[in-house]
Formats: sequence, structure tokens, C-alpha cells
Amino acid sequence: MFKIGNTEINPTKIICLGRNYLDHIKETGSPVPKEPVFFAKTLNTLITNNEPITYPRVLYDDEEKRSVDHEVELAFVILKTCKNVKTENAYEYIQGYTIFLDMTARSMQKADRNINLPWYRSKNFDTFGPIGPKIASPNEIGDPHDLTIELSVNGSIKQSSNTKHLIFRIPEIIDYISKYVTLEKGDIVATGTPGGISPILPGDIIEASIEKIGTIKHEVILEDINNK
Amino acid sequence: MMIGELEINPSKIICVGTNYMDHIEETKLEIPKEPVLFPKTLNCLISNDQPIIYPKMLYEDPKMNRVDYEVELAFIISKTCKHIKAANSYEHIQGYTVFNDITARKMQIKDIFSKLPWFRSKSFDSFGPIGPRIADVNEIKDPHDLNLELRLNGEIKQHSNTKYLLFKIPELMEYITRFFTLVPGDIIATGTPSGIGPIKPGDVLDATIEKIGTLSNKVILEGEMGSV
Repeated sequence: MFKIGNTEINPTKIICLGRNYLDHIKETGSPVPKEPVFFAKTLNTLITNNEPITYPRVLYDDEEKRSVDHEVELAFVILKTCKNVKTENAYEYIQGYTIFLDMTARSMQKADRNINLPWYRSKNFDTFGPIGPKIASPNEIGDPHDLTIELSVNGSIKQSSNTKHLIFRIPEIIDYISKYVTLEKGDIVATGTPGGISPILPGDIIEASIEKIGTIKHEVILEDINNK
Repeated sequence: MMIGELEINPSKIICVGTNYMDHIEETKLEIPKEPVLFPKTLNCLISNDQPIIYPKMLYEDPKMNRVDYEVELAFIISKTCKHIKAANSYEHIQGYTVFNDITARKMQIKDIFSKLPWFRSKSFDSFGPIGPRIADVNEIKDPHDLNLELRLNGEIKQHSNTKYLLFKIPELMEYITRFFTLVPGDIIATGTPSGIGPIKPGDVLDATIEKIGTLSNKVILEGEMGSV
């Protein structure tokens, strides 16, 4: 069980979309996808609003790997078990919307990708998936493809966009993903990040906001291996 | 999830890729300097005697219609752990079981060479048969001296011994927990030896590991009787 605001959820998986805003695709030098690109994050990444993001020692102590980026994303939570969902029915399976930070060890991700390795370890350090501050109901949100989305580090705005710029929209995403995997109640799907990603360091304060949902705030602290 | 008589409540499945030399040679992948990790999501788990569902979208697409078996020794975590030393690793293991890391091979190869995540090809529903039981950690004195084999319709296709694992269990535990917190019930699959090959609907797979038992699963086409 995991609490987001006042709502308890029991996710079995977190599925993230990569490359779903054009400006982010350009800044990472990736090709524009013909179909959604998705990957999994494991549940050890989840933390709630105000909990610290732990900067792993294994990254901090290695200059080549000292590169952890923020990625603010609109996420939605699945309401009921579903498979092979059609786009026109997609919203029936959404409990609500929240903010997700897809924290990424960028230089590790690039190095792994360049030698054809999985996108796993760079995305899944403990605390690399802040989520919250609440689950906004579909009624509160209205149109999920018209929400301003923004992230600041130490008060300075780094990412600022609108969910109307999503390449693959929520109904297409559910249709596509549920062709592959059964989605369960509580599962989290993050829709991808806009441009403006940048590195963070211990001591930084990250604030991520999405219109009609709220703001999550996280301090970055350096991992203390002796006091785990 | 029941494995034999034991109930486990995994939060994640972590698989080790390219961990037998002979398998590395047959897939033409590079010899890894450190363990290669990727996740499978929990929707892939099925137990002994449940059918592996061959996805229609793969079956009907000549560019995608190859799905492979991969027999692997897996172990189950007994207690929450992070940053453990190789020497203490067995204290955190509940026991061992057989895992079949079913893989949509053509899709995986296409994704790998497009620098995309190793996710969708590995995590279709039913692509993670596990069982038939968990052999207690004390029941298996040396997990690195177990014969393992896979039979397809009775014919031996994979045959090796866990002594040929490149990264052994203590090293894997130390490496994985440097990144992620493991919690009770989590499943770690240690990689597959050579001899991988395709399956088709109607096939029967028997994956056997010495001192654990045989995991049997029939392959059926999605949409057939018995598939979800």
C-alpha cells in the first residue's frame, strides 16, 4: 500500500513513456517515435510529497556518472484491471491524475544505451520516483490534455509546458500499453516529460506543479550509506 | 502469488541478462563488465501448468513472430535489504525456483538496436512462468552446482549447469542492492544458458533445475480457450 495525499493505492507496476514531447526529443537527440516508447520503473522508486530524493553515492562519487536529471510528468492511476482497451473506452479505466518525477541518472542511461543495454538501473534507484501531492479525479481535471506543467529547481523555472503538446495522448497510450500488459488497479502510468531537463545536486529543492493537481516539493540529499 | 505451497508477494522481478558465456556467444552480445539488469513486470507471472499465451500481435506479424524460452535459476528475497555485502547475501534469500524468461526475440532485437528499452518484448502477460516450488535456501547447499535444462515437446534444447554463471549469486546481490532496495518476495532471475529457440502455440515447455523440480507450461495462442 502506498499513500498519495489521502488516497491509498496498491500499484503492481509503474509504466513510463519516453519521448512523448517534441522539445524533449530534440534536446536528447532522439528520433521521433512512430509508436509509444515505454519502460518500467520498479516500486522501490516511489516516494511521496516532501520526502527527500536520495542522490546515490555510487553516482555522486564518480564524476562521469554525477548526472541526475529531473523529468516532470503527468501520470495517471488505473482504476480497474484492463487488457486490450480501445481508445474510446480508455477514460473508464482511469482513477485520476497526479504528478510524477521520473528521476534519471542521465550519463549512466546514455552509456548503457550506447552499448545496447537496458534502460533500467539509471531509472530505478530508490527515491527516483516522487509522486503526488494528491490524485485529482477525472472530474476535477476535465481535459487532461490542457494542463500547464512546470518544474523549478531552487525557485528557478527549468521545465514549463502544457500537456496539449503530448505526442501520444492518454487514450492512445492506454490502448497501446494494454495490448502488451494487463494493467491492474493502482498501476501508475507516466506520460513523458517536456523539454528543459537539467541536472540536480544534493541540497537542491525541486518543485513540480501541474495545473489543477498541485505541487510536489522534494529536497535532494546525498545518500548516507552508513546510515541506511 | 502461490509458488507450490508458498505464498509470495513480490514487488518486482529483476532479471540478469547475458550471464552465461555460451548464451552470450549465441546472441552475439558483448561480455558484460558488470551485471546487466532489466525488470519484468508482475503481469508476466504464471505458475506451473498455467498456459503461456502467445500474443496475436506477434503471431500475425512476420517481423515479430519469434518468441523464445529461456530457462533460469531464480531466487526469492526473504527480507528487506540495501547495500549488502556479497558475504552476507544468503541471509537475505528465502529459496530458489525455476523461472522461464519468455522473450519476444525479434521485437527485443529491433528495440535493442534502436536504443529502446528492453521492456515490451519481455513483459507480455504470461511471459514469466515460475515454479513448481521454492526450494528452501538450506535445502540447496550449493546453488552454483545445479544442472538446468529445458525441453521443448520432450526434446532437450537447453542444458547447462549453474556453475557456468558469469556473475554468481553473492555478487549479484551486492551489485543489485547497490542500486535498489529489495523487499521480501522479490524475484531475481540469474540469466539463461545457450540453446534458446522459438516456441509456437501447441508446444509444451518443461524447464527443470536439479533439486528444485520441473516447471511445465503449454503454449496457446491468445484468444484460444483458456487464455485471458
